[in-house]
Amino acid sequence: MILSLAWKNIWRSKRRSFVVMSAVAIGVWSIIFMVSFYNSMIGAISRNSLQHDYSHIQIHHESYLSEPGLGFQVKKPSMLMKFPSQISDIEAVSARLIVNGMVASPKTNLGIQVYAIDPADERAVTALSGFLTAGDYFTNIKRNPILLSQKLAEKLKVKVRSKVVITVQDLEANIRAGAFRVSGIFHSKSPRINNGVIYVRHEDLSKLINLPDTAFNEFAYLLKDNESLIETKQMMEAKTNNLVRTYREIAPEFDMIEESSTISKQVITVIVMLALLFGIINTMLMAVLERTKEIGMLRAIGMFKSKIFFMIVLETFMISWVAAPMGLMAGFLTNLYFEKNGGLDLSQYAGALEQYGGDAIFYPVIAQSTYFFLMLAVMMTALIGAIYPAIKAVNLKPLEAIRKL
Amino acid sequence: MKVIELKNLSKIYNPDTIPVRAINDVTLSVEEGEFTAIVGPSGCGKTTLLNMIGGLDISSEGSVDIGGVSINEMSESELTTFRLQHIGFVFQAYNLIPVLTAKENIEFIMVLQNRDAKTMQERSDDLLDRMGIKDQRDRRPSELSGGQQQRVAVARALASRPKFVLADEPTANLDSGSTEALLDTMAKLNKEEKITFIFSTHDQRVIDRAKRIIKLVDGEIVSDEPR
Ligand SMILES: Nc1ncnc2c1ncn2[C@@H]1O[C@H](COP(=O)(O)OP(=O)(O)OP(=O)(O)O)[C@@H](O)[C@H]1O
Ligand SMILES: [Mg+2]
Repeated sequence: MILSLAWKNIWRSKRRSFVVMSAVAIGVWSIIFMVSFYNSMIGAISRNSLQHDYSHIQIHHESYLSEPGLGFQVKKPSMLMKFPSQISDIEAVSARLIVNGMVASPKTNLGIQVYAIDPADERAVTALSGFLTAGDYFTNIKRNPILLSQKLAEKLKVKVRSKVVITVQDLEANIRAGAFRVSGIFHSKSPRINNGVIYVRHEDLSKLINLPDTAFNEFAYLLKDNESLIETKQMMEAKTNNLVRTYREIAPEFDMIEESSTISKQVITVIVMLALLFGIINTMLMAVLERTKEIGMLRAIGMFKSKIFFMIVLETFMISWVAAPMGLMAGFLTNLYFEKNGGLDLSQYAGALEQYGGDAIFYPVIAQSTYFFLMLAVMMTALIGAIYPAIKAVNLKPLEAIRKL
Repeated sequence: MKVIELKNLSKIYNPDTIPVRAINDVTLSVEEGEFTAIVGPSGCGKTTLLNMIGGLDISSEGSVDIGGVSINEMSESELTTFRLQHIGFVFQAYNLIPVLTAKENIEFIMVLQNRDAKTMQERSDDLLDRMGIKDQRDRRPSELSGGQQQRVAVARALASRPKFVLADEPTANLDSGSTEALLDTMAKLNKEEKITFIFSTHDQRVIDRAKRIIKLVDGEIVSDEPR
């Protein structure tokens, strides 16, 4: 009966209860919405730089990191080329010769990194060819074709077929310059590549700087999936005395992004819950003060303090119990809607998103545990919010009921 | 048999600041089956006296025995249990829980007493019947007249099977018709079932119905006469 009494008490002030319930529901919904899209954004950033930049695993000479350049080339490159046929989890490999240099157009020149690659291999690993916005993938130009990003093309004021001059140093520190023609212009999902990487064919660069066509200083491997990352890395390490690193080791920002996103999500949740907490305390306090005489009467006729306390806590719980699932449901449906209808399109703001390597279209991502966690968080909030009003109720003197008429 | 025994009872409000001697050296006993009115001018101490008898307030001096049990030394939670099990209360107003029906209000006190469902059902039906509010059983207090509400309150007080019923100005908010009807019901319960009623009142019509009248002035008994 106390249960049903508490339930009926909630509906004494319909409007007030409704306000709290909506606040709880909207709060829960907004957390789901924000967390989902936050996950989506972080996921896209990580996925993009993994798939289109770092790849799963990279191999370098162990001294390359302290002195990048041509000096420390990968040992036994032909061995490393064979890994995809030896280790089943490897999907593709791209061998690169990376060297710092300058690219010059009639208008200006820029410092860049030259990635000398095999076009077919690079395409298999980073899907580079998929990002072309103009020109094509190394085929339209016979001699010394080059691929550069839209951003660099704009800075250099060059178009497809424009001539550019690339200047690099060879192993003996001689300056070598070569004329190249723009074969294609791309727009990668990796901000790092857009900002300062140009691609040339390995054969062209090795000719320019007089290196054999087996000279590489980076091997990038794409795996079939992320699950076997560590295992595959260990298998590779067993087969080579070069330095083998996963993308997490190469770019610690992956961990940082994940960590900071977890913190952000917690902060969002705590802020919303705090707002709800004050709403709940306020409402329940009003509900208690309004019933001073009634509660005094209940104490007078012999209702124990503990039962009064329980009744108030129960009322608070019920309000949130009704509202939280509504919020969860609304959040779930919102996510479902965006999943089914092509995501939330933020192309308008894509500029800002792309700077961080995100995608313009958001597909909500949320772990099922988040729903449970939220339900729990609301329950905790309700419990904490109930305590103060319940203590107030319990401390009302039964006498007041009869005195103040 | 004595249901209430007060010895040299006094109540001093604000003993540390501006002391008010609301009840002064009252010695009094009430037998089972009495129909007693406590009367006197406003501020004479009627409510204070009833509150001490009902275990809602603690005396400053003297002792209160209910059914041979001293309640002076009881803790707050012991007093709560004592009130629940042994004393029926009817107040001037705010007697009922507004969200519960008449029947549920009557049963509520039995819920607090942990009575079983069957007992509750039978007793509330019986009381609704005897109070003449059977037809109003499913109505909420706001749908009842003041008189009907007070009858529900009396029924609720009786539902707990108390040693006696304390009623502080139960008719103060009622018109004369309702007052008569409520008093008829109370008198009938007293006569037929030997239910002990102690009530305070200003109202001459109520005083006329009492079988014993205790008159208080300035917290002291000035007369105590049967009628
Ligand atoms: N909580 C309190 N603090 C201080 N004085 C009080 C308190 N309650 C009552 N009094 C005083 O005690 C005296 C008795 O009050 P009480 O309410 O018992 O009178 P009463 O006979 O019930 O009056 P009424 O007929 O108006 O209900 C009064 O002088 C009153 O002012
Ligand atoms: Mg009074």
